[in-house]
Amino acid sequence: MKWLERIVRTAAAVWILVLLLGAIPEAGSAYAASTAAESFTVALTGKYPPFSFYSDEAELVGFDVDVSQLVAEKLNRELRIVTTEWDGILGGLLAGKYDAIIGSMAITPERAKSVDFTMPYYVSGAQLFVHVDDAGEIQSLKDMEGKKAGAVLGETFEHYLVTNHPEISVVTYKSTVDIFQEMQHRRLDGFVTDRLVGMYQIKSAQMPFVPAGPLLYEEQMAIPVKQDQPELLAAINQALTDLEAEGELAKLHEKWFASIHAAEDESVAATGSAEETGGMSWGTIAVRLLRGFGITLLVAFLSIAMGFILAVPAGVVLHGAPRLGQTVVRAIVDFIRGTPVLIQLFFVYFGSPQIGLNLSPMVAAVVTLTINSAAYMSEVVRSGLLAVSPGQRVAARALGLSPFEVFRFVVWPQALRVALPPLMNSAVALLKDTALISVISVAEVIREAQSIISVTFDPAKYYLIVAVMFFVFTYPLMRLASAFEAHMKKRGFAGA
Amino acid sequence: MLSVRNVSFKYPSGTQALSDVAFEVQGGDIFAILGESGSGKTTLLRCIGRFLRPKRGAIELDGRSIWKYEEREFRQRLGIVFQELNLFPHLTVLQNMSLAPVQALGQDRNEVEKASREMLERLKIAEVAESYPNQISGGQAQRAAIARALMLKPECLLLDEPTSALDLGTTEEFAAWLLDLKEYTTFVVVTHDVPFAARVASTGVLLEQGAVVLAGSVDAIEERLRAGMAQGA
Repeated sequence: MKWLERIVRTAAAVWILVLLLGAIPEAGSAYAASTAAESFTVALTGKYPPFSFYSDEAELVGFDVDVSQLVAEKLNRELRIVTTEWDGILGGLLAGKYDAIIGSMAITPERAKSVDFTMPYYVSGAQLFVHVDDAGEIQSLKDMEGKKAGAVLGETFEHYLVTNHPEISVVTYKSTVDIFQEMQHRRLDGFVTDRLVGMYQIKSAQMPFVPAGPLLYEEQMAIPVKQDQPELLAAINQALTDLEAEGELAKLHEKWFASIHAAEDESVAATGSAEETGGMSWGTIAVRLLRGFGITLLVAFLSIAMGFILAVPAGVVLHGAPRLGQTVVRAIVDFIRGTPVLIQLFFVYFGSPQIGLNLSPMVAAVVTLTINSAAYMSEVVRSGLLAVSPGQRVAARALGLSPFEVFRFVVWPQALRVALPPLMNSAVALLKDTALISVISVAEVIREAQSIISVTFDPAKYYLIVAVMFFVFTYPLMRLASAFEAHMKKRGFAGA
Repeated sequence: MLSVRNVSFKYPSGTQALSDVAFEVQGGDIFAILGESGSGKTTLLRCIGRFLRPKRGAIELDGRSIWKYEEREFRQRLGIVFQELNLFPHLTVLQNMSLAPVQALGQDRNEVEKASREMLERLKIAEVAESYPNQISGGQAQRAAIARALMLKPECLLLDEPTSALDLGTTEEFAAWLLDLKEYTTFVVVTHDVPFAARVASTGVLLEQGAVVLAGSVDAIEERLRAGMAQGA
């Protein structure tokens, strides 16, 4: 039984490790509590070239990144950037995860209800793009009646289309990359996005899409902060005013959009810019995917290990504790098993600040998946305990073993042998569930892949690579589980 | 050494399982508790094994109520081998035998293992030491379970239906084997197999509907039963 002791010891070490986890900076999202003095924490997606994206050297760059840096310098505070998903970015601000969003967010009356916007730091507009083959047929939004238009979920363009053009069927996507795929397969007739961004992305991905018609409306991009921070708002406004006056913002425009304006002129279309963004080196891609998968495995390992430690007492209670304890644990387990992991993840990450805990994405992910795996594994432990015949307990008692010794030496080793294959399957399921944690911006492999795809525009290839990475780990686990099950059956274990 | 005094037991369901059962087991003897299924044998076994507590009557081990012993001391003094044997399937026979002495009594593992091997030798099943329970025969498992119980050196060892899984030839062999072990402990054999009981035990009781209907020499009980059957036929 030495191995059991080893598991327990390892688990104790893991608990300590998780307490230290808050101190580990996450790859790709240097998050720190926004309360830390002198730091200015800013959120953006990191998937919105040329405003924010990862360069060939895996560095976060872009117009918004440069603006963030300049503003932080003006505020005389140290810049920290959090990369997060667009559809949760406002929620994160309201939850106090960062001080501001410098992520090309347009001012809308609805958003202005929950946050305070600074003065605009650039102006762009909504543009309809269509496939070049349809350019003759669809010349403006009027020609889109009854057709399908794509927009990124949560962006103002989606809201604009739904509100003002009910005759158009709007389909939403997680990112422009997905929209490009759909356009290429002709499953979409057009899409609406920012004119500057759209042109830049189409050129980078060398897609056959063109703008159709004039700007649908103009958008003013500004920086939202929480409403109870007038000093911060005033300070950022002052910083923007100064940067405008000093010509710094104009310089940034020149730096980031010069090539785009040139791109509109067909004669200079063949510049090197497509290669710069689309041609991320294989070395960089491999390093980022492997690093991401390392984080995936770390999160999975911690969650499975700690989930198992919680699952053992929970399973014991479910199997045979007095009524009250059983009812309470049963209710918790059923609730966790009966709700989507994604919701639990959002609940822990966005809800934790409300009870005074500001969990980093990594800790929130580990906490959520630990609780989740504990719930599933406690059921497995329970059925393992059920498989041990009551006669075993009575016989062990008759030999003078104490109730704890009966459990430790007779019941538990047998239950574990029965439960091990399904426990391994739970581990496989949990490893796959880690794919979800990219939504709260843990820099695991899916998020890295998305980020690479936002530059390379090749989702099929990179998602396949990620799928293979997962399979390399899950397949041996699954084989091992069935081999062990067969072995146990041969040894005559009940339930196996 | 083991005395059962006017024990009555009623299950919560209302079934009167034992009524006024009384007998005395002498040390160094093999004692038989006889009866058909439903006669109250199992309930009596559970009462003696402290798994059920009768409301009326007393069960004493060496003149002291069994309920006054510390759990560990009691289990060491009075062993039980259940009908299902309940060898632990995840442990070898040797590990089955050393678990309680090492873990519950804190004895030295090496010495316990040495003693276990000697015991297996003495019980003529030395070859099964490293085998798992599902790798050995029913007869070997029966002996292994008794060997496991004997490791605690009990003063009294209850055997619940020891012949139920044995065929006729093996039963005779087992009976001879058991008689050879009388030096180790006082056996109490709980069985419906009267010929087997007559072969191994000198005294005993016959239970019917929870009450002792015959007591004394097992040969005499067997005789009376045979006569009764002849009468009935």
